[in-house]
Amino acid sequence: MGNFINGVLNKKLSRREFLAASAAGAASLALSGCGGNNLAAVGPDVQAAAAEKKGKWVTAACWHNCGGRCLNKALVVDGVVVRQKTDDTHEDTPDYPQQRGCHRGRAQRFHVFGADRLKYPMKRKNWEPGGGKKELRGRDEWVRISWDEALDLVAAELKRIKEQYGNKAILGTSRLLNFYGGGLVRWGSSSSGAWGVVQECMTGFFSWKANDRLDWRNAKLIVLWGANPARSSLGNPTYNLLQAKKAGAKFIVVDPLITPTVRVLADKHIPCRPGTDTALLLAMAYHMIVNNLHDQEFLNRYTVGFDAEHMPEGADPKENFKDYVLGTYDGVPKTPEWASEICGTPPQLIREFATEIATTKPMIFTSSFAPARTYRGQQFCQAFLTVGWMTGNVGKPGAGVWTMNYAASQSYGGKTLVRGGGTGLPPVVNPLFPDATYGPYDGYRWANPTNPDAHGMAYCETYDAILKGEYTGTNGRGKIPCDIRLIWLVRDGYGYNFLNQSSDINKGIQAFRKVDFVVTNDIVLSTISKYADIVLPATTQWEKEGIILQGNPEAIFVAQKVCEPLYEAKTEEWMERELAKRLGLNPDEIYPVSPKQQFFNSIAGAQVISEDGNSYEPLVTITAQDIQEWGVQGEPQQGKIALQDLLEQGVYQVPRSPGDNLTVVQGEDFIRDPEANPLPTKSGKLEIHCQALSDKIAAYGLTTIPPIAKYEPPLDGYEATFEDWKTKKKGKYPFQLITIHYGRRSHSTYDNVPPLREAYPQEFMMNPRDAEALGLKEGDTVLIESEYGKCIRPLHLSETVMPGVVTLGEGAWVEIDEETGIDKAGATNILCGARLSGQGEEPWNTTIVRVEKYNGEPLLPDKYWKQRIIF
Amino acid sequence: MGQLGFYFNMVECMGCKACQIACKDKNDLKVGELFRKVLNFECGVYPNVGGFYLSVSCNHCAEAKCVRGCPTGAMHYAEDGTVQHNKDLCIGCRYCVWNCPYSVPQYLEDKNIVGKCDACKDLRDAGENPACVDACPMRTLKFGDLDELKRQYGPDLVSEITVLPLAEVTKPSLLMKANIYALDPSYKLKLKEV
Repeated sequence: MGNFINGVLNKKLSRREFLAASAAGAASLALSGCGGNNLAAVGPDVQAAAAEKKGKWVTAACWHNCGGRCLNKALVVDGVVVRQKTDDTHEDTPDYPQQRGCHRGRAQRFHVFGADRLKYPMKRKNWEPGGGKKELRGRDEWVRISWDEALDLVAAELKRIKEQYGNKAILGTSRLLNFYGGGLVRWGSSSSGAWGVVQECMTGFFSWKANDRLDWRNAKLIVLWGANPARSSLGNPTYNLLQAKKAGAKFIVVDPLITPTVRVLADKHIPCRPGTDTALLLAMAYHMIVNNLHDQEFLNRYTVGFDAEHMPEGADPKENFKDYVLGTYDGVPKTPEWASEICGTPPQLIREFATEIATTKPMIFTSSFAPARTYRGQQFCQAFLTVGWMTGNVGKPGAGVWTMNYAASQSYGGKTLVRGGGTGLPPVVNPLFPDATYGPYDGYRWANPTNPDAHGMAYCETYDAILKGEYTGTNGRGKIPCDIRLIWLVRDGYGYNFLNQSSDINKGIQAFRKVDFVVTNDIVLSTISKYADIVLPATTQWEKEGIILQGNPEAIFVAQKVCEPLYEAKTEEWMERELAKRLGLNPDEIYPVSPKQQFFNSIAGAQVISEDGNSYEPLVTITAQDIQEWGVQGEPQQGKIALQDLLEQGVYQVPRSPGDNLTVVQGEDFIRDPEANPLPTKSGKLEIHCQALSDKIAAYGLTTIPPIAKYEPPLDGYEATFEDWKTKKKGKYPFQLITIHYGRRSHSTYDNVPPLREAYPQEFMMNPRDAEALGLKEGDTVLIESEYGKCIRPLHLSETVMPGVVTLGEGAWVEIDEETGIDKAGATNILCGARLSGQGEEPWNTTIVRVEKYNGEPLLPDKYWKQRIIF
Repeated sequence: MGQLGFYFNMVECMGCKACQIACKDKNDLKVGELFRKVLNFECGVYPNVGGFYLSVSCNHCAEAKCVRGCPTGAMHYAEDGTVQHNKDLCIGCRYCVWNCPYSVPQYLEDKNIVGKCDACKDLRDAGENPACVDACPMRTLKFGDLDELKRQYGPDLVSEITVLPLAEVTKPSLLMKANIYALDPSYKLKLKEV
């Protein structure tokens, strides 16, 4: 290493400090990354200015499934990352805000250089081809093996299983697998819950788009339904919404919890029990109807199904929304009093809220995905859209009815102003699941249920499929037999932690312990790797060639390689190429484009919106010399920023200002002339009554849903907490659990990072009065139990939690105490059952639990837990 | 330049702890060492719950008790008025930990000296802001001349709130935009740190 490091070592670090920092017990070899095997810690006394002079700021990928993917840069000095910074590439203003990394991105170097990074390929001590002692998965010892041995073993098992049982014995997909006959796919919906197919059928995705960021400032009222961007949409969304507030928008937030978003933005908070939002919405509709507050003209012109006079062709006129709400045929008027017993919102507040949304214009009525991550969550989505449409707030400045879209979420909408180009890697179809609409990997979100050539099961049926040997076929095909022998999780970079992130971990562990072979690649020993047979050490994005990342429509981030791969970690491309050779496949066919060329292609193909605000033009100026220096194929091109400048800057963000030509009012054309601009729905209009939705959901074969919004108590919802609804006597599982997005992590990523464990202790939260009734105190270790499993957690009391509701952050890595069978980490999927619903949405937010004091060994606070350091 | 210090807007703080983590990164701190941290206070009964987040670091007090009580001069004033700590002079006696009414200095056990926020002096000398200031996604933190901060952020800024020591004790160089739960004494007994 360089003189700089020697200088620092000689001057500042005592021998004791050096040894302490380098030992395996160190929480982080944070100032490390010299490449190869020579990780060494450097003392903390690195003078910032001196470091900057000698070092180079490299844009460091923040690549997680968080919605932000902001700008983080790493200061690299002689191959060592000494610290990070965030966006300082331009002056920060509300109109043109810096893309600041969140608390997790700021801890990224502790993540990449953690002492728990997987260093070498490894296998379970008690594994052998066929499985060996399968019951020891998750609790065996690890043996270091060479790459050659690892790849030989993996290829041999894959080959054996394919030849003996066929590709349908393989669960998983990847580029390699898709060239090797494919595998069974897990399909369903996680993040977006029940929203996907609802949007497709009721609106043709019209309501999955929003007005542009600056237009939100035109709203007089913004309703955030179940949305907590302060924790689930880091980056600028909460800051952007604050600007709307400063411009005069009133905020109303509906949530069982009084979240940080409520604290910062809300003028009014509406409490509502989990899974009962539909009842609340129906009562709001009732109030609007009986007081004639709804926009009848809007409904007549732009929707179908609101009342008997405006039904779609072929529909039963009695199945109209208005008569259902009034109770005309079922004898149950959906009054605020009727709703209040269910949702817990006081009737007067329901009336006020309904009046407010009906009479305040323009209004943005927006929902997160959380209330749709419930059993038969379609009912919520139907009700939300219907009530929103009843106010007529569509297609006008400052107005809209929509649901939050992923990364471009919770404050953004409109046009994409800048985007990266494709890598040039052609997509590969999985021969067993040709209809997959989310890359070549998963039948995610809306696998076509009517395609008999799509082989795979709903997320929540995966484990039963493995254990029982059959799964539900879509489109009335009945049970389909299967014999799954291999769980393949070698895919992009860092595993696909579904054993942790999908419902019913206990059943999942049983399933993992049944198959012949489980293989993963990973950067640390996350849950799927913990229960695997062979684990291949993977590189993080910091150790790869480079990538363009995007989180919102206004900026792209161009991340580069920060350091060489740590220890023996490899990219998944390398792994798949090596495996291909052993399987008699041509690696160049699977990866015809090199990583460097892929990165170059994505830069060369990057586009930025033109001056006219409509067309696109190349972003980057690339010279013949650039191409030669990179050693890639390409043509020189003219753009707006030189390649080298873009790499140094690390970000390209299109400036915005009020009155620029980049405003978008979603749905303007449809509203101006619905006949000339019909929506891609059956009727061409917004469908309050949607037979297509009913039919498509029925085709999945899991549950059914009527064509209009109706409240039907969900499995494991509020009603299920009672033994007797009439007397309100509580039953075995009296509390409703919601599995919130939790600050420590981006889903399950970052759970292992010490400063984040310190900042966010993964506390189980209850209302103090509920705790008192059970004799529980702040800080007690409590046992949380559902029908599906048990967890222990430190108890945290707060009046921000609705009585009867409890919360625990989703994503903690399960840590089962082998003696008691109890999870110590608070992995919410230990508690959530794998129940089949709708389009395969996992109904996490309809989960019921019981809570009691735990009399076993109290938990050590998470920040003191030992890291999973293998070698 | 006049007295330098931090500005913090609790009204717009969402308690994410980006400031806390950015500070840990910049100062390479271990678990248990926090030069800036975020506290959470609440009061009331669901659904009528108030409260605030409080991001605190060193207040670089004009009459710092840590400087006054330091036997070696390790705690001292820099020319810019901020309170700095000279690691080479520190003997780890922890008088400053005892003296500071805000519990700012922390004893760093494995080094046998204390440590605290230095308002990122090395960054400021290079013309940049403290790490926490540039990290905040809600833009609630600033650092600079107190008079200038007052001019920029309004006349209603305070240097004390009900859960912090009285400003007259050490004259903290701190300006906060506070909400009613932090200002109104009638909430003080109802507030719980959560």
